[in-house]
Amino acid sequence: MKSRRHAPESEETGIDLSPMLDFTVNLLIFFIITTSFIKEAGVTVFKPPAVTAVNKPSGNLLIAIRENGDIWMDRRRIDLRDVRTQIERLHIERPDDTVVIIADKASNAGAVAKVMDEVRLAGITDVSIAANPNGS
Amino acid sequence: MRKRRHNEPTESSTGIDLAPMLDFVTNLLIFFIITAVFVKESGLTVNRPTSFEQESKDDAKSIQIQILDNGEIWVDNRAVDARAVRANVERLSAVNPDAGVLILAQDKAPTGTLVEVVDQVHLGGIYNITFSTTQ
Repeated sequence: MKSRRHAPESEETGIDLSPMLDFTVNLLIFFIITTSFIKEAGVTVFKPPAVTAVNKPSGNLLIAIRENGDIWMDRRRIDLRDVRTQIERLHIERPDDTVVIIADKASNAGAVAKVMDEVRLAGITDVSIAANPNGS
Repeated sequence: MRKRRHNEPTESSTGIDLAPMLDFVTNLLIFFIITAVFVKESGLTVNRPTSFEQESKDDAKSIQIQILDNGEIWVDNRAVDARAVRANVERLSAVNPDAGVLILAQDKAPTGTLVEVVDQVHLGGIYNITFSTTQ
């Protein structure tokens, strides 16, 4: 150490990268842990309010039902008959995922029931209906 | 350059070159930042009856709540307000403590009303809710 400090002619002018590396690796680990590969529905719907709604951290397959009955999944509008095959395909990739149905306030309960049945046929029994926990 | 290479063997510069590892880690970091989606959904869980359960659930043990196409809520053969569902459920569950709730919604009943009823039943202390639709 001492001999190094006494040698100003040696060109040791590079920045010390190790603190930056530590920081970057920590950031990387944070993002690896928090990422959960959620399949977003892709449309905005008005969720009904509910005080008793609980957070579903594992709900990562989101199906949206608009007020006119359109079903959106994975940023595409799909037919009711395609819901089952789509869910089955995604369910094979990650067997522990659950479904959250984001239904519009004004959508029909019958449409929600049909989508729930399709999801159950695809093999996922943990289905919940999205609600806004803040109330109205 | 030439001068440096001549000097080097005397210096204690034995560290591994970190630059390729740093490149790789930064790329990985950017990938995860891009793919990260911070969506946390909140929801209510309701059951759907299977074809076998449907008959057994229809007996007098369960509390039935009907939702009509126009959003009217019927409990115990009376039309009630959405905010009165909780009181009705509490009253009926006091009589029949281990009863579940069966929500019978007509096909075109609004989902907002359905969620409101589920919320009220939860507030009334019952979490065993089955949701069925009628034509």
